[in-house]
Amino acid sequence: MKIKEEIKDGVMVIRLSGKVISGPDLMDLKGVFQTAVGNAEGNVLLDLGHVAWMDSSGLGVLVSGHTSLAREGGRMAILNATKKIHELFIITKLITIFETFTDEGEALSSLKE
Amino acid sequence: MLKGIVLKVPSDDTVAEAVQTFVEKIGLVAGVSEEDVTGLSIAVMEVVKNAIEHGNGGDPKKHVTIYVDVFSGRLQFIIDDCGKWVPDSDLGHEPGEGEALISSRGRGVLIARNLARWLDYGLNSEGNTRATLIWPLS
Repeated sequence: MKIKEEIKDGVMVIRLSGKVISGPDLMDLKGVFQTAVGNAEGNVLLDLGHVAWMDSSGLGVLVSGHTSLAREGGRMAILNATKKIHELFIITKLITIFETFTDEGEALSSLKE
Repeated sequence: MLKGIVLKVPSDDTVAEAVQTFVEKIGLVAGVSEEDVTGLSIAVMEVVKNAIEHGNGGDPKKHVTIYVDVFSGRLQFIIDDCGKWVPDSDLGHEPGEGEALISSRGRGVLIARNLARWLDYGLNSEGNTRATLIWPLS
């Protein structure tokens, strides 16, 4: 898994690619979320446009990130989830708690509200 | 035809990468496509991780045994642990509601069952938990 971070319009944008599955990379992603939780803006846009696979550990990190941000008054939105990942959100019912977008501008505008 | 392959590993997280590589290689040899072999390894690894954690309590002295056989049109993994746990009641196969929904754990069986054609749990001849996972081959 590759992780890229940038601040865009005051929102931390985290772009992931590859496989979001058990392993040392997941610790790195946890660290990025921890940084985001401590960030003044506190909102995260997670771009999954290049994530082909995710396992329960990967999902767990996303849920932890979402919950930790919410506790601090922040929000996390998902951008461009691939068909496989979107299906994963549906079967796990996480689609009911994750905000999902297919347009980056729209997602950033929503997170700035 | 692949028949009677057995892999016995200690209940230690450090074996995960080796088991994953083993599953992917078996899958490719059996005819699973490059595109789908990651899905196969995720499904099997979800079951193996549960066997290590819930069946063997992460005790490295206890082993997880993986039996692999290829039949016409299907690849079969049987995963035995040393416990007597029942996923339906211990983990749940359906996503939770409320607090359970936002738990960072407890989705492995659901994901494995969704990826594979078949996943069920029962007991082996010694009375310990046995998972059977079937992956279709085209």
